[in-house]
Amino acid sequence: MQNQMVIEARGITKRFAGHTAVRALSLQVPTGSVYGLLGPNGAGKTTTIRMLMNIIVPDEGSIRLFGLEDSGRDLSHRIGYLPEERGLYRKMRVLDLVIFLAQAKGVPRRTAKGEGLEWLTRLGLGDWIRKPVSDLSKGMQQKVQFISTILHRPELLILDEPFSGFDPVNTQLMKDIVLELGRRGTTVLFSTHIMEQAEKLCDSVCIIARGEKVLDGRLSDIKRQHGGLHVILAVEQGVESVHALLSDRSLVAKADNYGSYAEVELVAGSDPQRLLEALMRAGARVRRFELAEPTLNKIFIDIVGADAAAPRAQEARAHA
Amino acid sequence: MRKIWVVVQREFVEKVRNKWFIISTVLGPLLMASFVVLPILMAEGGGAQRRIVVVDLGTVDLASRLVGVLRAPLPVTATLLRVELADLADVADSLTALVGGKEVDGYLIVSEEAVEDGAVEYRGSNVSSMADMQVLERVLRETVVTERLGRAGVDAEVVQRARIPLRMRTLSIRGGKVTEGSGESAFILAYAVWLVLYMAILLYGVQVMGAVVEEKTSRVIELLISSLRPFQLLAGKVIGVGAVGLFQLAIWGVCAWLLFQQRELVLRVVGIDAGPAGGFAFPAVPLETIAIVLTYFLLGYFLYAAMFAAVGAMSNSDAEARQAQTPVIMLLVIPTVLMLGILQQPDGAMAVSLSLIPFCSPIAMPVRWAAATVPIEELALSIGLLVVALLLVVWVAARIYRVGILMYGKRPNPKELWRWIRTT
Repeated sequence: MQNQMVIEARGITKRFAGHTAVRALSLQVPTGSVYGLLGPNGAGKTTTIRMLMNIIVPDEGSIRLFGLEDSGRDLSHRIGYLPEERGLYRKMRVLDLVIFLAQAKGVPRRTAKGEGLEWLTRLGLGDWIRKPVSDLSKGMQQKVQFISTILHRPELLILDEPFSGFDPVNTQLMKDIVLELGRRGTTVLFSTHIMEQAEKLCDSVCIIARGEKVLDGRLSDIKRQHGGLHVILAVEQGVESVHALLSDRSLVAKADNYGSYAEVELVAGSDPQRLLEALMRAGARVRRFELAEPTLNKIFIDIVGADAAAPRAQEARAHA
Repeated sequence: MRKIWVVVQREFVEKVRNKWFIISTVLGPLLMASFVVLPILMAEGGGAQRRIVVVDLGTVDLASRLVGVLRAPLPVTATLLRVELADLADVADSLTALVGGKEVDGYLIVSEEAVEDGAVEYRGSNVSSMADMQVLERVLRETVVTERLGRAGVDAEVVQRARIPLRMRTLSIRGGKVTEGSGESAFILAYAVWLVLYMAILLYGVQVMGAVVEEKTSRVIELLISSLRPFQLLAGKVIGVGAVGLFQLAIWGVCAWLLFQQRELVLRVVGIDAGPAGGFAFPAVPLETIAIVLTYFLLGYFLYAAMFAAVGAMSNSDAEARQAQTPVIMLLVIPTVLMLGILQQPDGAMAVSLSLIPFCSPIAMPVRWAAATVPIEELALSIGLLVVALLLVVWVAARIYRVGILMYGKRPNPKELWRWIRTT
């Protein structure tokens, strides 16, 4: 079960008039994982998610959800989807709306009412169930949207920029619920352009830029592959010998040397242990020698370059 | 199917709960009641007392006879004024001043010419009132004819008998049978059918558009589209609003019927004591006519609602949608503009072709049906064409809708629209 893929996308491509939003993207989201779809604005995240949900149809490639051929919409009762741009019927009463959105996913009315009441009460909206949505604050409306995403107990959560526009309290609340659902076995896929967020929540990621995959895999694997070459170094004695060592271009690719403190990037393929040995041999007294884990953001910029990491000039909203 | 039903339910409940629905539902019967009461009120106190001066330019006794006739049963005060031809200009000036000062409503200049070659002149402030002029002309004609016959030596009693008016009763023949309905009531019925269909299709069609735009601007559509197919949404919305429409029409229909049944009571409430036939005659509505009107309402409503939904899906705001709806409304206005032509000649070439053209037939055919007999083959052809057009329009509209609801920004030009329709 653990090895089975909830989402398998093979070579999906979507072209809109004038540009290719997503190009030959393949994704594999393992069951039970918390998966991050990362990339700057306009990279094609929303388009990818909409293709997964079968809201738009890829021009090329295939998508399988839960190992089935059915489209995302037919499986909507097993999926909780929170779109990036989200709104509610402003004149509807809160409970009626929650029930309607659940019914649209195929939940029987009675169940929808019970579960809806439970969630609304749990998230502190118990006094508002008969009020029209327009009376709610923005934060409360976000809670209602979130409830409608998870009410039908989906096996797969697809969240498009779930934390954008949320206040810190709601962000924390949602993260807790997402992680709790993740622990209970729900597979979560969410997109974000904030790498730090993904770093804390995800166990697997896929980074895309300009519609193409940059890298994907388990977060720990990615870090291992791209990490380990950064060393933070502090010495107490023998500063001069360290100086000479850091100039050795067969070992050190780049070094920010501050005298007794240095951030060092090793040449690709080299072993950090060799630097430590050389330091000892040179008689330096090492106070700190740390293999720094690179941040996801750093890895991303290293691979695609700062240029591609920046948002596209023309945010392709109309086509997203 | 169940999902469409969920959308229908929501649309119906929300629309019926809306305060505008409640207001318009209540206002409808009030408006109808005023239709019953107002004509009677107007007929009763209506034609206000008219004061006219009859200027006698030396007639033998035509002018004085005229004053007598005008005084008798009509709400007219007529005064006789003998004037020499030489003074006419001065007298006319002062009389014109009196009309300007609202002392009198007008003056009639009668000379021997009236008897000779029928030339009479009336100057007044009420010449645009068809009713006033009709009465005046009729009285004049009869008086002049009597005068001419009298001078020709015809016995007064013979003249009296010759003047007994003719009353023609018109009964329409429908399906080879004489019906109770008179020609006039067929006209009223056709007129009512037109009004109801035009209003209903337009009102509820525009509501569908509003609902689509609302979902787009509020971004609810993004939430819905993951669990509902665009077609389910569209169908649910159109059926839901249509059900609201039928519900409201049913309420109004029952109210109209009750009002008609209880019209004496209604009249007594507002203080009028009219006979049982008081007010205008409520035309008898045959069952087939109701069935035809309902059929065409449904087909026409679906046709236009689909188009309005497509317009809504192309637009980013209410204001934009109102602009973009113009071509659709024009289609609906065509049969309306030509309505009088259809009513006057329900079997004419124009009426027949309008009742076959799908975008006009939802209004033109029921109106024709109410006004005259329509061959059953024509009816079948009209419905057949309408259904074909409906399927085509729904197919195109659904495709525009499917793409449009997720598009924000510029409204599409025709070329882009064509691409929306073609994309799979």
